[in-house]
Amino acid sequence: MGEMTRGQYADAGTSLDFKTGNWRSTQRPVHVHAKAPCHTACPAGEDQQAWFALLQEQKVEEAWKSLVSANPMPGVTGRVCPHPCETACNRVHVDGALAIHNVERWLGDEAVRLGWDYPVAAPAKDAKTVAIVGAGPAGISAAYHCVRLGLKAEIFEALSEAGGLLRSAIPPTRLPRGPLDAELGRILDLPGITLNLRQRLGRDVTVESLKAQYAAVLLAPGCEKAKPWSVQGAVPADLHEGLELLRDFMDHGALPDAAKGDVIVHGGGNTAMDICRIMKRAGAKSVTLITASGLPGPDTAPDDLINVVPRELEEALEEGIEVIDHATVSRLIMKGSKVTGVEIIALKKEPGKDGRKRRVEFEGTERVVSVDMVVPCVGEQVDPEGYEGLLDGAYFWPDNAGGRVAERVYALGDARGSRGTVAAAIGDGRLAAEAAAAELRGEDDPSADDRSTIGIDALNTAYYAGASRTLVAKLPVSERTFEAEIEGSISRTEALAEAQRCLSCGNCLACDNCWTMCPDNAVIKTAELAMDGSHYVFDYDYCKGCGLCTHECPTGYIQSVPETN
Amino acid sequence: MAPRSDNSKRLNELRMKHGRPPAGPNEPKAAKAEPTLREQQPRFRGLESGHRACQGCGEALAARLVMESAGPDVMVANATGCLEVFSTPWPQTAWRVPWIHSLFENASAVASGMEAAMKAKGKNTKVLSFGGDGATYDIGFQSLSGMLERHHNVLYVTYDNEAYMNTGIQRSSSTPHAASTTTSPVGAERMGKRHLKKDLLSIVAAHHIPYAASASVAYPADLQRKVRYAMGVEGPTFLVIHSPCPLGWRHDSALTVEIARRAVECGLFPLVELERGALTNIMPIRDPRPVAEYLKLQGRFAHLFKKNDYRAAEELDHLQALADHNIAIYGLRGEGTDPVDTTGVAQVRRGGPLAGRN
Repeated sequence: MGEMTRGQYADAGTSLDFKTGNWRSTQRPVHVHAKAPCHTACPAGEDQQAWFALLQEQKVEEAWKSLVSANPMPGVTGRVCPHPCETACNRVHVDGALAIHNVERWLGDEAVRLGWDYPVAAPAKDAKTVAIVGAGPAGISAAYHCVRLGLKAEIFEALSEAGGLLRSAIPPTRLPRGPLDAELGRILDLPGITLNLRQRLGRDVTVESLKAQYAAVLLAPGCEKAKPWSVQGAVPADLHEGLELLRDFMDHGALPDAAKGDVIVHGGGNTAMDICRIMKRAGAKSVTLITASGLPGPDTAPDDLINVVPRELEEALEEGIEVIDHATVSRLIMKGSKVTGVEIIALKKEPGKDGRKRRVEFEGTERVVSVDMVVPCVGEQVDPEGYEGLLDGAYFWPDNAGGRVAERVYALGDARGSRGTVAAAIGDGRLAAEAAAAELRGEDDPSADDRSTIGIDALNTAYYAGASRTLVAKLPVSERTFEAEIEGSISRTEALAEAQRCLSCGNCLACDNCWTMCPDNAVIKTAELAMDGSHYVFDYDYCKGCGLCTHECPTGYIQSVPETN
Repeated sequence: MAPRSDNSKRLNELRMKHGRPPAGPNEPKAAKAEPTLREQQPRFRGLESGHRACQGCGEALAARLVMESAGPDVMVANATGCLEVFSTPWPQTAWRVPWIHSLFENASAVASGMEAAMKAKGKNTKVLSFGGDGATYDIGFQSLSGMLERHHNVLYVTYDNEAYMNTGIQRSSSTPHAASTTTSPVGAERMGKRHLKKDLLSIVAAHHIPYAASASVAYPADLQRKVRYAMGVEGPTFLVIHSPCPLGWRHDSALTVEIARRAVECGLFPLVELERGALTNIMPIRDPRPVAEYLKLQGRFAHLFKKNDYRAAEELDHLQALADHNIAIYGLRGEGTDPVDTTGVAQVRRGGPLAGRN
């Protein structure tokens, strides 16, 4: 007789001695923190899922701190951003996207109201200093991120006030000056940021002089010069370009006389939309927007969609602005050098021989409309003064994420050429500051976040409570003025309720589903040992790889990957 | 024969491992180890890992959930079946409570004796009796009826996977109409099982027992509430738990809970509670879904989706009519939204279930 077995003692062993983990043949569950679609879509690089998660725990100040680690001015973007995050939100497929911009704006305003401190430390006395040209959203964001990364920032602004296009081109109905001043002021007051006003590049400073004096130079001049506009070579003598008109109106409060009649605005961006609404409110008989893009609709291709804040378009239509989509001005009808009418033709983006889409005008759709004024809003370009040798045509067009155009010189914001929103400018500020900080440390460029984005198919929506989007009060059309903000704010209760709607796409919700539903007791609950930010670890000694937890995970945080053992 | 010291060495090892008292004063005491992560779990692990249930086993999940809310002061009488086989491969056991297996047909009789013995000893330990649908609907039916009639203080739980899965997927009286099994195969004559699923819950409730209910692995919170309720009842209580079987139902092991959820949402497996024979509670269905959505995920119903077979459409309509009948007689269609209807009870938020686990 050999060694006695347990059975001979009638002493049952525990099945824990039998590791069923080696049954896994095809797949094993793993925690994968994929990007939420809002985060992927955000030009400013915010992780909305992360700060909504903190709001779900009622940690309001922490949520704001998480938000401003990417975007220091939520009070601004909450008002002016076209919120691609909401377009991308997976909840669109359930019961409507989250009201992200409303909550963002509320967080920004709360921070100003309660004086929360930005999560940055004062840079060391001997920290390197970065020169930043332009105190618009890109420049201010860059300065903030420099401080966040331990650098000092010195901003050179040509005008007498910081804010750039936020101040010169966005009407107070969208961005009241109170919240704007408060938020920018709090950032510019941070230790390590110096603001030099009335310092124009090319006149007071040059790129070379800055480069010699500072560790790095970040160029965020914006686009100040209107793109040349003509129709088959014809330019009216009394031409007023959109952005210039908008700036004049914001400075003096007056519009040319012709703006009292029938006005046609040609373009398809937020500036076009703003100028339409201001002219209508100022008493234009009729205002018609002619845009080559399409209006939002179920069949509109994303690349064809008009690039304006969706609610701005809605409000404009409410106010009586007419929009002719998929059209362009094909001819100006002039009496002498004054415009009396335009010919409009239908067009659309169609794929050509090489597959690339180009605009095709449809013959036979021409019509003539008599007008008193035509306002082109077809975009702006960088004022080239002082940037000789750095510009590639009208813009900088850097070929890397950080925006490097020369050694220790970066371009950011609208001046890059591929940008078009305040949020993108803010995102550029961060990217450029991070790239510059890496360059100054002698490191490679920061690597991009190449995690995959989680779609609605990876979620299990059976586990989410239905809740419709918070409705936000708007000023009725009859009460809209040039000053009063049109979209209302939301309350703390509404903001926290809205936060509960967040599906937590791609990140652990700590809902216990995997822990509760594992038939093999192979999910262990622990906050301490789950280093990945969840509350669970898989016990691969016993996990049989059935995939049940993957399927029942509401957020797609558990994914099945091929088993390799 | 090996020297005696070998055996005592092995004995010592076992004592060290299991923390048993030393045999003599000179033997070392087992060192009290720090509790492992597994031991620190904030729930009772009555059915432990390492059992040999298939991947995605609905029955293992159901039994684990029952033990969590029933234990630890319980004893189990287990009928023959999958649960018995996969949890106790000699010489190991996955159970962390006293557990007896005797025969296929007599789990209720054994439980009756255990309960009587506890009563005689003046102990309050609750006796549970477990069986699959074969052991409950068919083979152990008379002993179950006897136990209920004698009013033993036992909670009987049947894990309903709708066929004899342990022996190779033979039909039971719980197999639903039109399901294909090895003894009710699809062919020229029949579209799967000819007969209907036995309504055991009504038969059991007709014994006028204090509590009889149905539950599903798709709704763990509801299942555990029913177990806790039954544990508090003095007298015979009965629970039937719908437990999908990936092997026998022929579905992906990841879909166990999804399929169980759809069974409830289409009305084919109504979640109801009966006290003293009367219907006292139901889980309302917020949005009833077509039975096809439940059936199409399972290989045992694949023949119902065959094109160009008139019988397929007919049987599909038959099953839909059975589901609609359940919805009608139990009044499963809720009025508006209810936090504990089929949609509400499943909902979660950051930190756990929305409705709490009570």
